[in-house]
Amino acid sequence: MKIHKAAKLLAVTLGVSLLAAGCSSGSTGSTTNTNEKVELTFWTWVPNIDKVVSIWNAAHPNIHVTASKQAQGDDEMTKVLTAAKAGNPPDLFQAEYQALPTMVSNDVAADIKKQTASVKSHFADGVWQQVTLGTDSVYGIPQDSGPMMLYYRADLFTKYGLTVPKTWDEFATLAATVRQKAPQSYLTTFSSNDPGWFAGLAEQAGSQWWSVSGSTWKVNVNDAATKKVADYWGNLVNTGVIDKQPMYTPEWNKALNDGTLLAWPSAVWGPGVLSGNAADTKGKWMIAPMPQWNAGDNKTGSWGGSSTAIAAKSKHIDAAVQFATWLNTDPQATSALVTQGGIYPADRNAQSGPALASPPDFFSNQTDFYPMAKQIADTAAGVTWGPNVNVTYASYKDAFAKAITSKSAFGSAIDTMQQATVDDMKKNGFTVATG
Amino acid sequence: MSTTLSTTPARRTGSTPGTAARPVRRGTALLPTAVLLLGALYCLLPVVWVLVAATKSRAKLFNSFTFSPSGSLFTNIGDLSAYYDGLYWRWMLNTALYAGVGALLSAALSGLSGYTLAKFEFPGRAFLFNVLLAGVLVPGITLAIPQYLLISKVGLANTYWSVLLPSIISPYGIYLARIYSAAAIPDTLIEAARCDGAGEWRIFRTVAVPSMLPGLVTVFLFQFVAIWNNFLLPFIMLGDDRKFPLTVGLYTMLAQGNTTPALYTLVLTGSLLSIVPLVALFLSLQRYWRVDLLTGAVKG
Amino acid sequence: MSTRGRTAPKGVPYVFLAPAITMFVLFLLVPIGYTAYLSLRGVHISGLGLGRGARKEVFVGLANYRAVLHDGELWRSALRVLVYGGVLVPSMLLLALLFALLLDVPRVRLARFSRIAIFLPYAVPAIIASLLWGFLYLPSVSPGQYLLVKAGFSPVDLLNPTSIYFSVINIAVWGGVGFNMMVMFTALRAVPQEIYESARIDGASEVQIALRIKVPMIVPALIMTAVFSTIATLQVFSEPTALRPLTNSLSTTWTPLMKVYQEAFARDDIYSAAATSIVLAAMTLVLSFGFLRLVQKRAFGQDR
Repeated sequence: MKIHKAAKLLAVTLGVSLLAAGCSSGSTGSTTNTNEKVELTFWTWVPNIDKVVSIWNAAHPNIHVTASKQAQGDDEMTKVLTAAKAGNPPDLFQAEYQALPTMVSNDVAADIKKQTASVKSHFADGVWQQVTLGTDSVYGIPQDSGPMMLYYRADLFTKYGLTVPKTWDEFATLAATVRQKAPQSYLTTFSSNDPGWFAGLAEQAGSQWWSVSGSTWKVNVNDAATKKVADYWGNLVNTGVIDKQPMYTPEWNKALNDGTLLAWPSAVWGPGVLSGNAADTKGKWMIAPMPQWNAGDNKTGSWGGSSTAIAAKSKHIDAAVQFATWLNTDPQATSALVTQGGIYPADRNAQSGPALASPPDFFSNQTDFYPMAKQIADTAAGVTWGPNVNVTYASYKDAFAKAITSKSAFGSAIDTMQQATVDDMKKNGFTVATG
Repeated sequence: MSTTLSTTPARRTGSTPGTAARPVRRGTALLPTAVLLLGALYCLLPVVWVLVAATKSRAKLFNSFTFSPSGSLFTNIGDLSAYYDGLYWRWMLNTALYAGVGALLSAALSGLSGYTLAKFEFPGRAFLFNVLLAGVLVPGITLAIPQYLLISKVGLANTYWSVLLPSIISPYGIYLARIYSAAAIPDTLIEAARCDGAGEWRIFRTVAVPSMLPGLVTVFLFQFVAIWNNFLLPFIMLGDDRKFPLTVGLYTMLAQGNTTPALYTLVLTGSLLSIVPLVALFLSLQRYWRVDLLTGAVKG
Repeated sequence: MSTRGRTAPKGVPYVFLAPAITMFVLFLLVPIGYTAYLSLRGVHISGLGLGRGARKEVFVGLANYRAVLHDGELWRSALRVLVYGGVLVPSMLLLALLFALLLDVPRVRLARFSRIAIFLPYAVPAIIASLLWGFLYLPSVSPGQYLLVKAGFSPVDLLNPTSIYFSVINIAVWGGVGFNMMVMFTALRAVPQEIYESARIDGASEVQIALRIKVPMIVPALIMTAVFSTIATLQVFSEPTALRPLTNSLSTTWTPLMKVYQEAFARDDIYSAAATSIVLAAMTLVLSFGFLRLVQKRAFGQDR
């Protein structure tokens, strides 16, 4: 009867999906026939990317790129992973540097070493390292980078008679001073929702969360440098001189607007965020190099930054690499990315190019904005990302939220992150060493 | 026969023919009215807030007192329309398509299934019904990725079908339809039609559906809202942003990440505009919320 | 029990049910089956996991289930959800019942307006609703806090680890009370008026009529809204997820379904997510079917 038929249908469908799921991924193909028109799909979240893409489409009628605007974040990467698993990933996708190892590990990002031999010289070594993952292969073309610097309200600093801190010790003292002079305000806030921000701060202190030795991963999320940073901020938060609200919330926006947050350790793409969220504070902010751990040092970390990767299953890898190379190195393209997308290009030529000749509108008061940014960018520490950064980042959010609400030491939150990272890697069969 | 539900106390709907009309009473039940208005206020508060917030320009959104309106509503709507050249309106059309077609098909399927479960006795009836109901227990998150993988295997991923097809089966809709059929379709009518020699499908079309109509509209509305508000299914199924429904589209405007500001103003304006079609739908289909159990035959 | 039609052909019910069964199998059963299959699988990495073919899907037996059942965080989140539901479901349903009864009072005014207004939140997707309420909760942008402070009170912290329960519950009540109210109200409207006649003639007050006659008459509707609300509550996900970035008081695994989402979407571990889903579905099944069996007769009493 119908029940039996349904059962049969179920069995057949299940069987088919089991078979299909068990099959290894198909081979990739790349068309080298330049005469037929190629259609490429590109998933990205850069604002106004369609305007940049249309420049390419106009000049290259044979290779047509359609950009789809996506949301940024972990679930976006999962979409790409799932789509690749199902056999229909986009040809190109934007991948943050810390997500690349996950993409490579899942065989989603293609190795484009062949096609990118001449591109390496466009980028600084530290940046290029993030797309080679320390191997011979190349998994993406760097698009933008996020060297970190300190943003501060110059007008409020003048009003309260504050000086820009050059070391973290000075920063701590300054935080206490701010609380005295303006009890409603804080110097800045510690966010439990932005692991990339914290990672950049740890990088500045010299942390190396992942490293490779042979075919073993070494995981050291709780190394001395990271613990130092965590305890430093934990102390500030628990004594109440630094606020503890997450960033990128309406509450935080309000604080930026009404001056109850005087400074923001952020990255070079900060002007876009500030002009979007606190338009009325235009011209009141300035940047300075990040406070240093030791006086006289000159180091910083990075927050964010992404690359353009090509799907291993794409049928037009060559064409896709052509587009990706153009997008991230061609002067016209990088110019458009800066002016339309508001990113800071990783391409060295673009960094001293005409689009960055004058400061961003929002920082019209600081004419040396971009020259300073470039100087700072050159001091950014290199990073090796591990294969499960998403796990570490997820753990950060919960561990630090808990540490904040229970007013406990931040150092233990770091240990939680370490444990979560190592456990996850071991579960998947990685060989992991610690310490 | 019956008036729409209104504030006049005189006549009520849903009354059996032959019932004496209730005596007209003057005056107002003050306390119930007050409590209901309080409830209405509570429910409307965030909606009013969105309305006011959508009138503010980006700069003013975090700078002014929350409930003081500003004048930028049309500017905001203009900005929203300019976003990727009218992508928002495309999202709205997509959502109407997914919800309208999906709910229509779902109501049809639920109606047929509910009628069958209510009016026929056959072996396995209870079992089938329980299994169908158990479908309510499975959360969408669990199903999302497996559904996506299976839909991809037949090459339908990133198409309109990938969102429509899974939306058609609605265990809750079948349940509602069953309850409604049982109460609203008199068995005598069915038996009479059978005696007249009508085929079962004809009976369904000409006897069951008209009697069930308010119930079908209820199922339609329920599924319409469910699909309209659904986020996870279209999020995982669709890669092409021109096929996004409103929920996914608005989410991409919010989740811009660290390096770009969330487009609060656009999202709030977009949210406000997205509520309007639903409200219009409710109001226009409102009269079907009447429960008119009988078509003249004896109840039960 | 429904009476058999005089000459109903035997195969007809099955033919009529075939479309629903097919869709159910395709879109519910098969994915569930696939989920069950995935829950027995895992990933094995060789070497650094960066080359091609370094990552394989392998059969791991019950390892995922063992990990899930031993995971303290899952049980903590289950407990949280039970507490959350224990407060939410009764308050929401009582409120819905109150509104439904009030709408049914003879001389109530502006009933239509109130009805539509209370039903309106149902039209707002959970993501948007949580964003809106987020604005209303965050102290510096909230009008409520502003007015409180102006009136001389100290601001209320709605987002600390204890009050967050009520804040999330509030969003769920706001969103769900209208729908449940409509279900109950529809059931109330189905009651023929003459039943109240004799009571009114005897001089019973509206409250007495409501409590003694109306409520018992709509018990089946009450039970079913209770069951479906409970199931929906056990699956709470959207509201805490949307509120989480705004506050330190919610973890990414605050509810069981958030944990599933974390595993599937943030940690890319579909295998653990599958195992957790199966465990959760089983628990929900036991709970709801147990409850349904208890009240089966009352719920389907009208289905004669």
